[in-house]
Amino acid sequence: MTNLFQRSVFLFFLLLSASCLSAQTNDPDFMQSVGKIYVAVGVILAIFAVIVLFLIYLDRKLTKLENQIKDHE
Amino acid sequence: MVYQTWWKALGVVLLVYTFIAGLLIPLKPGISSVHPSNAATGEEVVLEINGYNTLFTRSGEEVRAWLKMDDAYALGASGVEIVDDQHIRARFYIPAFLPDSGRVRDFTLLLDDPFNGACVLPSAVFITQDSIDPAMGKAQWVNAPIKGLHANDGLSFPFRNILKESIRNTYFHVPLWFAMVFLFLFSVGYSVRYLRTGTHDNDRRAHALAVGGVLFGMMGLVTGAIWAKNTWGAYWSWDVKQNMTAIALLIYFAYFILRGSFEDPEKRARLAAVYNLFAFVALIPLIYVIPRLTDSLHPGSGGNPAFGSDDLDNTMRMVFYPAILGWTLLGFWIASVVYRMERLRDRVLEFY
Repeated sequence: MTNLFQRSVFLFFLLLSASCLSAQTNDPDFMQSVGKIYVAVGVILAIFAVIVLFLIYLDRKLTKLENQIKDHE
Repeated sequence: MVYQTWWKALGVVLLVYTFIAGLLIPLKPGISSVHPSNAATGEEVVLEINGYNTLFTRSGEEVRAWLKMDDAYALGASGVEIVDDQHIRARFYIPAFLPDSGRVRDFTLLLDDPFNGACVLPSAVFITQDSIDPAMGKAQWVNAPIKGLHANDGLSFPFRNILKESIRNTYFHVPLWFAMVFLFLFSVGYSVRYLRTGTHDNDRRAHALAVGGVLFGMMGLVTGAIWAKNTWGAYWSWDVKQNMTAIALLIYFAYFILRGSFEDPEKRARLAAVYNLFAFVALIPLIYVIPRLTDSLHPGSGGNPAFGSDDLDNTMRMVFYPAILGWTLLGFWIASVVYRMERLRDRVLEFY
């Protein structure tokens, strides 16, 4: 259950970041008209995505540790 | 230190300040584009000028415009018509000859009024001359000295034509690298301590800090690639700075692989500590020395000093320095969580 949840969260953010990146570059005129603010938005979203991916990594390691403890009980 | 809360709270407060100030303080007025960008000598040209963050209607009809060739020669506009807050038309009579022996010369457009302050667009207009006669050009040139420019005193970040709003990434990309270097520095410090004392806990701390450092390095690379796409034209330009930082991160990836490949904890800790020393010694020249020796697109390379007055003004410093501390504290928080988890695992497994 958790595994499925993790995978869907992972995929969601992967797609989110990918779509943000492509939306940024599709229309250079649009980028110019808003003064490239979406570059800053993209950068902040990228930081957010990496931190979320790291949380998923930590979550998995903790789950593994919990399972190890459970096995010994 | 690991269990105290105040420095984590300080990091969060500084980052909240960074996000609010870094995203909400407006850019100074600037010129985003000029049409047409080409003109010939001996003709009258009307430039359609698009302003960015400008309020031309509040200028009190006192907008002045120049086409500046160099410090000695500048052409004043014969008339400036304000269309709306973002648009003005400036009329220039270009003399028959340029005071220059080149066929094409680039001119910088300069605007000034008491409300918006002075705005500059480098290489805004290219003027072509058919017959070249610098002496005639100098004699005919009606020079309009650029004097009495106004400053814009509002709280604002500088307007740079290539960067525009993406100048805000100074608080979201650059401090990640500062944080990474601090994390690696503390990591290698604990590795040295392990080699001197043999205490296993030091190796655990060194590893956790290296995890944090690599995480920030990866965020730095990704954010840098997005910024590069919109300023240099490609996510990855095989620029020396990009390549060297990627190599430095690969060296640190090898640290984790090396550390994970030994069963014996004694052996693992000692080899990891020695390798961490090597990695840090390689990191400094890779990210700070080699990119400065060659040409690079990145600021701070090829004799192009980063963080000079061109890159940062005092308003930006007010956000940039807290941002460095905030991101660094966040990095240490992440590393401390990794450290606590690893220590918990070691204790639990030892217990069973």
